[in-house]
Amino acid sequence: MPDRLSFYLKKNSIIHALNPFTKLTLVFAIVTYGLIGAGFWTATILVCLALLPLAFTARLLKEYLGVAVKLILPTAGFMFVMQSIFIPGGTTEIFRLGSISIELETVQRSYLIASRIFLFISAFALLLLTTHPSELMTNLTQRGLPPQFAYVIISTLQIIPQMQAKSLTIIAAQRSRGLDTESSFIKRIGLLVPLVGPLVFGSLVEVEERAIAIEARGFTSTHKKTYLHEVPDTNLDRAIRTILIALIIVAVVWRVWPS
Amino acid sequence: MAIVNLQNVTYKYPLTEKPALQNIDLQMKEGEFVAVIGPNGAGKSTLCYTLAGFVPHFFKGELTGSVEVARNETSKSNLHEWVLNVGLAFQNPFNQISGAKYTVFEEIAFGLENIGVPREEMKGRVKEAMKMTGISDLADRSPYSLSGGQQQRVALTSILVMQPKVLVLDEPTSQMDPIGTREVFSVVRTMAERGMTVILAEHKMEWIANFADRVIALHEGQILVDGKPGEVLTSDVLTEKGFGISRYTSVARRARELGLWKRDTLPVTLEEAVKGFKE
Amino acid sequence: MSQDFLNLLIALAAVGLVLGWAYVTKRMQKDFSSTMTWVLIPVAIAINISIGQLVLVLKLPVYLDSIGTVLVGVLCGPWAGALTGALSNFVAGIIFDPGWWPWIPVAATIGLTAGLCANAGFFKTWWKVVVTGFLIAIAATIVGSPIAVLLGGISASGSSIITAFLLQTGKGILESVLTTNFLVEPIDKISTSLLAFAILDGLSARYLARFPRGENAQLDQQRRTSELVIALVTVVILVIVTIVFVVPLTNN
Repeated sequence: MPDRLSFYLKKNSIIHALNPFTKLTLVFAIVTYGLIGAGFWTATILVCLALLPLAFTARLLKEYLGVAVKLILPTAGFMFVMQSIFIPGGTTEIFRLGSISIELETVQRSYLIASRIFLFISAFALLLLTTHPSELMTNLTQRGLPPQFAYVIISTLQIIPQMQAKSLTIIAAQRSRGLDTESSFIKRIGLLVPLVGPLVFGSLVEVEERAIAIEARGFTSTHKKTYLHEVPDTNLDRAIRTILIALIIVAVVWRVWPS
Repeated sequence: MAIVNLQNVTYKYPLTEKPALQNIDLQMKEGEFVAVIGPNGAGKSTLCYTLAGFVPHFFKGELTGSVEVARNETSKSNLHEWVLNVGLAFQNPFNQISGAKYTVFEEIAFGLENIGVPREEMKGRVKEAMKMTGISDLADRSPYSLSGGQQQRVALTSILVMQPKVLVLDEPTSQMDPIGTREVFSVVRTMAERGMTVILAEHKMEWIANFADRVIALHEGQILVDGKPGEVLTSDVLTEKGFGISRYTSVARRARELGLWKRDTLPVTLEEAVKGFKE
Repeated sequence: MSQDFLNLLIALAAVGLVLGWAYVTKRMQKDFSSTMTWVLIPVAIAINISIGQLVLVLKLPVYLDSIGTVLVGVLCGPWAGALTGALSNFVAGIIFDPGWWPWIPVAATIGLTAGLCANAGFFKTWWKVVVTGFLIAIAATIVGSPIAVLLGGISASGSSIITAFLLQTGKGILESVLTTNFLVEPIDKISTSLLAFAILDGLSARYLARFPRGENAQLDQQRRTSELVIALVTVVILVIVTIVFVVPLTNN
């Protein structure tokens, strides 16, 4: 279970200081290039030449690599290995063990998929490492996202640790009363109800009071919202975004244009 | 001029037969501090929700009679306009935290952001409100890391900062120790003296006797007694209808039966009781 | 690979069209008309994630990670359900591992289908709930299989072992993925729907009425014996349907 529910790490860097929307555009550009770039090494090159330098500039190279190794590599790596082994097709056999054969073409295709997934996910991870969720949501709200979305995202991130704490308490309580997660299948199904019941009903009944509480504080107000924190949007931000959007358009047009 | 004016108000929640409020007539002056007492299920919370506009706008159901606050009629108004005039804080502090904010300062500013208060004014108002309720030192803490009492004060501050004309409080001190209770009561008293009208549903009789201007006793959705704290809290009707009363009142009543209590009126607080017994 | 990109654009355009249509025809607005919806969604996401983890602890052969999504779909409507599913996977991607993100469309489909079925009155008795669960499974399979194929057929989920096995027996990728889903999804989604139904059964009608589509969860009072017969017939039909769908696929 994670200790903290946002990746965000405060650092004094030029990447942290960028407007969240600029960083989001950057991620979008990287994803677009990764998707439409036809080259075998496109995703790998983007990771090495875009994400790693960005993480370095953000003074988060170590943390970025940590996230990549701990979270993304297992997923992407597992897929790569499994697909290389089990997906049939391809003619150039490079390895054989009994009935299982590995072909060069399958390995290449698997690498392409895995490296793309690695690219997309780590691009988002970098965004989340350098941007506080509250800052991101505030900025998106200022740009026209309905404010309710910001409420949903932030309060979800805050409710989950409490719910997890609650479910750990319930599991501990049931263990002290003899819960055995190793017992028979039917018994374990029977255990689900006393575990899930208190957790779910408690939090569902709270919904009404919490709705009243935020309505009492103008949640449904039709006034134009204001914001406690200013999220700076500099000329540099606007310049970077313009360039990125131009690059995206060029890439898409070049790709879709019938050649 | 009454700022709160309820005339012949009867209300039924959806899918229920029995009215939760029956023929309520209630007028309140500006700056008045009114306490509402009554056993569980007497209609205290429903009355609070009615004043705060959640009955009928949020709960739906069937409301007859007229509810008027600051010259607005509830039936002709929207909830989001209504909450600008009437603030509501209630019992469970945990459920009053919006969840949308990471620090106490931001949490208190949440309401002001929603109603569009300009940034500089917002910061000033938040600081001032926090100073008043004595929680300035919590500004940078996460609202979820606080104790129940602290959370309740944050909830109260979050409503006060919106500067409503009428403040509705539904058992706000039930999770608090005596020190916290004292702070809440004295803040509320100060607000009333500055002209805010306060209606407070509460169980703690001695505190009511010390701070409120007027007490309303509710029973089965109807107003049973309405008057000065000294009169209402010691009236015999309360004991008959099973209200919880102050232990000093019960002791003095027993003493009066034995001829040990000489005064005409019964005490509610320790001080009154001590004075009376000394005579 | 350009073909994949084109397919992705077509899929995105289709989703955009459906959302636009629902917005313009005001089908979406009712779901979000109450603050209750906005407060329920985070709670539902937390329920998804917490129960999903509990099930892992208990080592049950199901996921049960969309009970909250189904609850929102029933109580607030299909669009709110879809949003809950999508955000649920998005948040799980942030806090556990981003491998959840590709499945966002599947999670959204689950909420959408649950909501549509509930709107049609199919969340009022338990045999109808079984049907709803089955329909959710079908919809999830239809949306999920292309994504699984796009990801190469094998992902980090447990059911991929079945896919891997089927691939080894010489079947195609799409075929193996579809078969796997038809084996895994109905059990999971029917259990999910029945649990959601049990939860709704435990909440008071007065409380349920507070939600935009609370009437979807006002349960029918029916006679027990007739219910049992209908339930049995339903299960038999479902089994036949599954066999009819799955067997030709595996034989091809």
